Amino acid sequence: MDIKWTRGKNWLAEINPSYKLLIIAALFIVFLCVDNLNVMIWSSLFFLIVYLMHRSIPVKLSIILLFMALLTSLFSMTAMTLFGKGTHLLFQFGLIRISTESLARGLMLGLRSFTFGMLSLIFATTTEPVPFFYSLMQQCRMPVRFAYGFLAAFRMLPMMAEEFQILRQALKVRGLSRAKGVAATYNRFKRYCLTMLVQSIRRAQRTAVAMEAKRFSMTEARTFYYSIGWSRYDFFFSLLIGFTVAASFILAVWIPLTPFVHVLDQY
Amino acid sequence: MNQSVKVSRTLNLTDILVTIVVSLVFGLIFRLMGPVYDLFKSFGLQMDALIYGIWFIAGPFAAVLIRKPGAAFLAETVAALAEVLFGGSGGIVNLYYGLIQGLFSEAIFAAVFYRRFSLIPAILSGLAASAGSLILDVYYGYLTDLAGWNLTLNIVFRFIGSALLAGLFPYVLVKGLEKTGVTQLIRPVSKEDYDVLNK
Repeated sequence: MDIKWTRGKNWLAEINPSYKLLIIAALFIVFLCVDNLNVMIWSSLFFLIVYLMHRSIPVKLSIILLFMALLTSLFSMTAMTLFGKGTHLLFQFGLIRISTESLARGLMLGLRSFTFGMLSLIFATTTEPVPFFYSLMQQCRMPVRFAYGFLAAFRMLPMMAEEFQILRQALKVRGLSRAKGVAATYNRFKRYCLTMLVQSIRRAQRTAVAMEAKRFSMTEARTFYYSIGWSRYDFFFSLLIGFTVAASFILAVWIPLTPFVHVLDQY
Repeated sequence: MNQSVKVSRTLNLTDILVTIVVSLVFGLIFRLMGPVYDLFKSFGLQMDALIYGIWFIAGPFAAVLIRKPGAAFLAETVAALAEVLFGGSGGIVNLYYGLIQGLFSEAIFAAVFYRRFSLIPAILSGLAASAGSLILDVYYGYLTDLAGWNLTLNIVFRFIGSALLAGLFPYVLVKGLEKTGVTQLIRPVSKEDYDVLNK
């Protein structure tokens, strides 16, 4: 895991990571209170545009991730659409009862999941762990033990991946991966889990002892190797998000695409 | 002679690091299981609620392993944050779920004053986490607007799944770890350990 400070010319990677997290976390509260389907439709459209315009990952990967987010949203609306409460029936077959209300609520859930899917992809593809935790320590006063603990743990992931490979080969060469049946599968699963866990715990403990031996976080004052501050990009980001959310609320009133202004009401 | 030794109940650096490393692995598992969970949703028959328990595993596991206050909350939050950083499908939503699940998980061990870390508290802790997620699901997932039978199915599946996957399974894993002796590295020294010395 190399530390990459910039990925091309992407300005979203330049935003203060804590601020980015805070804004997206605040959006969750905003959208939790929205029960207007039109707002959700417009905001999904706008966040889709933002996602498509941000170029931090190759186009092919971006399309694959978008497709998966679409599938996820589709799946998350099935239960509500097919089996939701509602009186204005559109379609009935056995247990399946699609009504106007259940369809609207299902769409609402699907679109909400889609919007957060887009935000999640934007956040995850433009945020590196190292600046993120340095920013949490500096801007959010996160205790250094947790932040550095996180960073140390991130460094252990590639080691774990290598260990997993070795473990798999070792089990294979001893003929243990050939055994069939429920008991054998359970044993194999337990073997993988326990071995990986034991190694990780030992490594974490050794690391902690080494850190404490060097007097890690035993003194109050601390300086940071990377100082994460504020830039004009934070302002641009606030504008972008503010504009996107405001536009979806305004357009929902100007151009209401559906009659469902309160999906939780009975029609 | 050492029976009056006060055992530290706060998380030290070793506990924090072990919890974070283990939770990061759980976070990765959450991320990788995400598409499977979404696929289970597709028929609308609440099959996803059966494997929901996987997402509550970090809290009970860390609590039973570390046996100190705060471990369950830290673990579940860290695992959720890791899932966000790895780009899980729910995004920031996962962090909120993680926070509330961690709090509920922790509450069970707090209720027994961090004295018992046996199977029953572990299962209760898993169930508590699933109750926490239920609260958020009612608001975020409009759960109460499902048809009665579907809602019942969701709740029953959710509790069965979390008792097994987030209660029994982490307990069995920690029992396995105890046999390897690795838990002696991290757990606070107990009275029994001193008794052995005094014999």
